[in-house]
Amino acid sequence: MRVVIAEDAALLREGLTRLLEDRGHSVCAAVTDGDALLAAVAAHQPDVAVVDIRMPPTHTDEGLRAALTMRKAFPGTGVLMFSQYIETSYSAQLLEGGAAGVGYLLKDRVANVAEFAAALERVAGGGTALDPEVVSQLFRASRQRGGLATLTPRERQVLALMAEGRSNSAIAAELVVSGGAVEKHVASIFTKLGLPPDESDNRRVLAVLHYLGSPA
Amino acid sequence: MNEEIRRVTGIILCAPLTRRTVRELLYCGLGGLAGVAGFWITIVMLALGLTISASILGTVIGLLLLTLALRVSRRLGALHRRLAGWLLRYRVEAPPKFQPGTGILGRLDKRLRDRAAWRAVSYSLIKLPVAAVQLYATTTACIGLVDITYPVDWVLFRHQATGPMVVVFPFPFSGTFNVYGFAGTYLAALAGVVCVLAGTWLARAVNVGDRRLVRALLGPSSMAERVSELERTRTLAVEDSAAALRRVERDLHDGAQMRLAALAMNLGMAREKLDDDDATVRELLDAAHRNAVDALADLRDLARGIHPPALDNGLPSALATLAASSAIPASVSADVGSRPAPAIETIAYFCAAELMANAIKHSYANQIKINIFTERSGVLCLEVTDDGIGGADAARGSGLTGLAQRVSTVDGHLELSSPPGGPTTVTVKLPLRA
Repeated sequence: MRVVIAEDAALLREGLTRLLEDRGHSVCAAVTDGDALLAAVAAHQPDVAVVDIRMPPTHTDEGLRAALTMRKAFPGTGVLMFSQYIETSYSAQLLEGGAAGVGYLLKDRVANVAEFAAALERVAGGGTALDPEVVSQLFRASRQRGGLATLTPRERQVLALMAEGRSNSAIAAELVVSGGAVEKHVASIFTKLGLPPDESDNRRVLAVLHYLGSPA
Repeated sequence: MNEEIRRVTGIILCAPLTRRTVRELLYCGLGGLAGVAGFWITIVMLALGLTISASILGTVIGLLLLTLALRVSRRLGALHRRLAGWLLRYRVEAPPKFQPGTGILGRLDKRLRDRAAWRAVSYSLIKLPVAAVQLYATTTACIGLVDITYPVDWVLFRHQATGPMVVVFPFPFSGTFNVYGFAGTYLAALAGVVCVLAGTWLARAVNVGDRRLVRALLGPSSMAERVSELERTRTLAVEDSAAALRRVERDLHDGAQMRLAALAMNLGMAREKLDDDDATVRELLDAAHRNAVDALADLRDLARGIHPPALDNGLPSALATLAASSAIPASVSADVGSRPAPAIETIAYFCAAELMANAIKHSYANQIKINIFTERSGVLCLEVTDDGIGGADAARGSGLTGLAQRVSTVDGHLELSSPPGGPTTVTVKLPLRA
């Protein structure tokens, strides 16, 4: 697995590099800010990037913004966000384009080396690795809005594909139905999960998180 | 009674011989000259500035002249204050220092609104008649001194000469009179004494008025200005403490938290590499690892209580995170136009957190609604509503009193509506700027 690390604290940057190299992965670059991350990803085309959210120059959410740009420019590269805090709005922005190849973990999780490495591998492979705290926050935020139980089997299928980050047209192709039918299913899912259209939350994300947060 | 008259007469007659009189007369002379000069400088600059700025092309130059006039007036005011302090022993504190604005327009605006400078301008203008009287008093006293020396002059210089000596008697309808003999010089000396006495007491009288003017126009500002000054410094204090808390959180994040995370990671790596048969070391390492992870969690909670990092992205985002970690389902609706000052955001955030904690602890609610919006009048409104049992009472020593105090540090206020049976709504209103 080829990894790029973006982390401004030298201690953690070196620790992560060592941890990953110990496990036989190759760290192509370890950088300290968002611009350098984008450059490194463009240069090395890694499988996955580990990105700290707070980095210079403003120390707020540079890492997140760089990661969002990266997701658009290099959809094949997984992103594992790595932070001291879990912020609901960050999770929502990160998962806006689907949950495939996305991870968001607290920095504490790196203490459990094996789990952390497994999570990183999952993200590199196009899977998802959300911190339990992310899931509980987002799920709590939407739990009062009815359950998945009311969904029809077809709607569940559509929701599962949405969770993989597929667009409506891709879902239509997969299920061999028309685009209009998928749109109807999606609208029905939103209604059943209690996500009215006037709400400012990204309904697609919330629906996906419903799915992620419920035991399959 | 006779005693009294004699005493007062003594004071009146002896006054010119005191040091104070010398100082007062000197003040009249110097202050009067400075006053006349200051009047003309100020009035010429003001008139030029106003006339030029009235034309379209000259606006810039005119305004610059005006600001220059204001600056000069402040300087002149300082000069008068110093003279009064030195010669009249009348010390008046200087008004607050000028606080320059930012940007060209901001600086200009601040200059033109500098109330202390405008008060100094009015002093310069009012000073002209005062200065005229002061100069008259000094001149009179000086002439009187010359007149008193006439008998001596006559003996020393005029005993051979012919023609009269001219005596100046600077009172209305008199002007001058002539002395033709030695005996007449005594009359001149008498006139001199009258002049000195009149000059002395005129100087004292006019200086009493001048002192008042100096106090009123060149001293520290009126109550209203003092209040606005206090408001300004309070804003600074509130903002400064918010910035300090933010700095502490950042230092924790970049320091202790980062080091602990690295420590936990290294312990985790060490644990992996350890042989399975070394049970004691593994146990110790496990405990150390667990402690590091726990400490990290504690530290995160602590840092969040100091300054929630989500506030960097604005209130709605921070409140969403707050609601998402609430034990009772909570929803947030936010409609905040322009961003409030950081200090205000911090206060609003901690109010919301405290009110939610209250609702969870006391209300048996099933649902909390947080509503934050800006009113048209530039007031930030935070409403926290729960569907619990109600009956909350601010007077009964709940956390509400503390909240109300915190809110009042920025002139905000808190309203509670909690009928028995619910629902409870707490409304916090804050200004957008501290």
